[in-house]
Amino acid sequence: MRTEGDDPALDTLPKLLRARAAHFGTGRVAMRVKNRGIWRRYTWKDYYERTRDLCLGMVSFGFHRGDKVCILGENKPEWFWAELAAQAAGGVAVGIFTDCAPREIKYFMEHSDSTFIFAHDQEQVDKVLEIKDELPLLQKIIYWDPKGLWSYRDPELFSIEKVMAEGCRLGQERPGLFEELIDRGSAEDMGVISYTSGTTGLPRGAILSQRWLVEGTRAWSKIDGWHRGGYEYLSFIPPAWVAEQGLGIAGSLVAGICVNFPEEPETVQENIREVGPHILFYGARLWENVNRAVQARMIDSTVLRRWLFKRFLAVGLKVAERQEKKYPLTPWWSFLCWLAHQAVFRALRDRLGLTRAEVVYSAGGAISPEIIKFFLALGVEIKLFYGSTEMGIVSVPRKGEIRPEASGKPVPWAEVKISEEGEILVKSQFMYSGYYKDPEAAAKKLQDGYYRSGDFGYIDGDGYLIAIDRMEDLKPLSRGHKFSPQYTEVRLRFSPYIKDVLVLGGEQRDFVTALVNIDLDNVGRFAEAHHIPYTTFTDLSQKPEVIDLVREEISRVNRTLPEHARIQRFVNLHKEFDPDEAELTRTRKLRRSFVEERYQELVNALYSGQEEISVEAPVTYRDGRQGIIRTAIRVNPVG
Amino acid sequence: MSGESVSNPTREKILEVKDLHLHFGGLQVLTDVELHLYDHELLAIIGPNGAGKTSLLNCINGFYRPQRGVIHFQGQPIHPLKPHAIAKLRISRTFQNIELYTGLNVMENLMAARHIHMKRGTLAGALFFGPGRSEELRHRDVVEEIIEFLELESVRQKIVGTLPYGVRKRVELGRALAMTPALLLLDEPMAGMNIEEKEDMARFILDVAELRQIPMMIVEHDMEVIMDISDRVLVLDFGHKIAEGPPSEIVRNQLVIQAYLGEEDAFED
Repeated sequence: MRTEGDDPALDTLPKLLRARAAHFGTGRVAMRVKNRGIWRRYTWKDYYERTRDLCLGMVSFGFHRGDKVCILGENKPEWFWAELAAQAAGGVAVGIFTDCAPREIKYFMEHSDSTFIFAHDQEQVDKVLEIKDELPLLQKIIYWDPKGLWSYRDPELFSIEKVMAEGCRLGQERPGLFEELIDRGSAEDMGVISYTSGTTGLPRGAILSQRWLVEGTRAWSKIDGWHRGGYEYLSFIPPAWVAEQGLGIAGSLVAGICVNFPEEPETVQENIREVGPHILFYGARLWENVNRAVQARMIDSTVLRRWLFKRFLAVGLKVAERQEKKYPLTPWWSFLCWLAHQAVFRALRDRLGLTRAEVVYSAGGAISPEIIKFFLALGVEIKLFYGSTEMGIVSVPRKGEIRPEASGKPVPWAEVKISEEGEILVKSQFMYSGYYKDPEAAAKKLQDGYYRSGDFGYIDGDGYLIAIDRMEDLKPLSRGHKFSPQYTEVRLRFSPYIKDVLVLGGEQRDFVTALVNIDLDNVGRFAEAHHIPYTTFTDLSQKPEVIDLVREEISRVNRTLPEHARIQRFVNLHKEFDPDEAELTRTRKLRRSFVEERYQELVNALYSGQEEISVEAPVTYRDGRQGIIRTAIRVNPVG
Repeated sequence: MSGESVSNPTREKILEVKDLHLHFGGLQVLTDVELHLYDHELLAIIGPNGAGKTSLLNCINGFYRPQRGVIHFQGQPIHPLKPHAIAKLRISRTFQNIELYTGLNVMENLMAARHIHMKRGTLAGALFFGPGRSEELRHRDVVEEIIEFLELESVRQKIVGTLPYGVRKRVELGRALAMTPALLLLDEPMAGMNIEEKEDMARFILDVAELRQIPMMIVEHDMEVIMDISDRVLVLDFGHKIAEGPPSEIVRNQLVIQAYLGEEDAFED
């Protein structure tokens, strides 16, 4: 379907904005922001006029074509205006995360040669003023939230109103100037510099052209069907992040989406419910939080509700499974599905603000497959897409193709192949245009025309891309394969019966093994329910039924892994990992090499084919006393 | 900013207390207390436990009737007035032990404070129609401004009884502000708070002083914060005023150090 956003003459975001404003005028809302308890609206005409005034104001303050402007703030309409104003003037927007420290801000400002900076409020302005004297290029600091800044008297500090008033004056003086500025833009202009957190060394500034912003986003919108317009979107992922550049800023212009801005970061959950967005983007951690909140609420609920929830969730899961396997839904299942929706899911989705959610994304970290399944049961398809600042969108699950592990099939404009080492290599029509002031680094990332993602992954039999881990976090095996211990551990830890686990491999080893910590509470409950008598943690961990239980959990996860990464043998540890013994950090992260060394005997047994081993482990109690635990540990094949 | 207010006699005195005596039976609480507060000024009242600090605030807003002495507010004697009449003169206060409607939400608590400004009757308010409606919307706007000012957006609809202590303190300041006060009396606004909450509260108080230019009297125990934010400090000891002046002088005042702090190094970091 062709929409008015498709016109090839509209090759930059400011041109798109102008076309949108001409088309919709005051007839359609472009942005809503909650302020003092009320959703205030900006129509497309307002959006255009604000951007015009701001752009001309910046120009009269000395902003030139090719200049860079940093934007340091939470998601607010002003952020969007600032970026569009800069681009309309032929400049480049550089987003900075609001939690950056002054010295990081200094690095971004310095490296990008920025002459202007937009700072949200007093907090951000203070940070900029701290480093102001070290930035010779800096000319103007512009803020939009005046709270607390009433008495600041810095000659370079201006409120956004002041700049816009100046722009309004210039606009009256030279009518048509803004149009001219917009017309001078072209698809190959630099639009955004997006800094990526380098795992080694300093962050690098990936250049995104107007073509990337406009065409790339347009292609993306069509893949996921939000190009038709009339959609509501809630903007709260940081605009400094490339995903919001694509979805929020470019996406709203390309597809005519209405962008809603939450009142405060703390009110997002409340605001989501008020808006009921069609398009939503949560980070992996946020999905986990939502899921946990639902579970906790259910635990506190009445017996009847809990029972209903459990029953209907099972229905939802079953239906989702049938749909994934493309089995037809029998009338009986359709009826149950309808009933589940009426009885539980409709209210639950309303609570979570997901009533109208159609296109829902997750990215930024591994998300447990169980969470994706849970939301799938509610009828919410979480699309775990794969991409990066440099590569753009590489693959995204299409409607009805949600698989908990996978990132769907590659998009038509990208070509994906897997290197010998298992690295994902990408060639795409919409890639970044290199790193700012660092062409060598960009060249290094290319291999025979393919971009080296640095991610380890594979494409399964159905053509779905599965990204596993960063290459550098992988462990080798003696046959040359690599695998990701963390990937497996995350999935195993989702089991209620496994509290902690260390997955082992290594150059001298042929296969993968695991040291498992059972979860005493849940396994204890299991034992009670199955009338298995036990005395201590050690005793419980070595019960044949418990070993079977853990084996089943491992097999379940194994099925989702490529063959060489599957766990072959495991032991249930006789004691829990303990921060008091330095096995875990105080934040409960596993100290991998320390633990491996400490249980060397067990590890040897895992790889030598022994069936049982007797261990003596010295333990340190919290009060400092020392003791020794002697016990026989079984080494179990997974089979 | 400190010191200026003392030496500048041309500034308008908004509050004047003279010759104030208060006793409960045989217990002498305030003896011959004299003080004045200039417009736009932040005056701190300090003193050991039982020095009469809260009693002084209670006299000003009419909870206690002093046996002797006069209190003038904006040139008008207020000591004979009842508390609600004093409230109508827009003297508002917060309490040491938070006095909010715990069963209502934040918004409702703040709206309740607007009642002194409401002209329409119960019926018009209940019907939410015509002038009653527009009046309510106008007051709601004022309240929303305060919610934004004190960053209470995320708890706007929460029942006050479920909120943490530090937030309730902020709500109480919000309620005092909702009266659009001409004078603000704060009774230990930072008591029981952690450092971060104290810093936040100090910032809000300074913002109130700067943006709204409301004269304030603060009773507070936390010396460090008081010395940082107040223009002038008044020290009470057993109902007597023993010192008065800018914080920098009070810190060095031997009488204060002996009487109030008991030890010499108490003001040092």
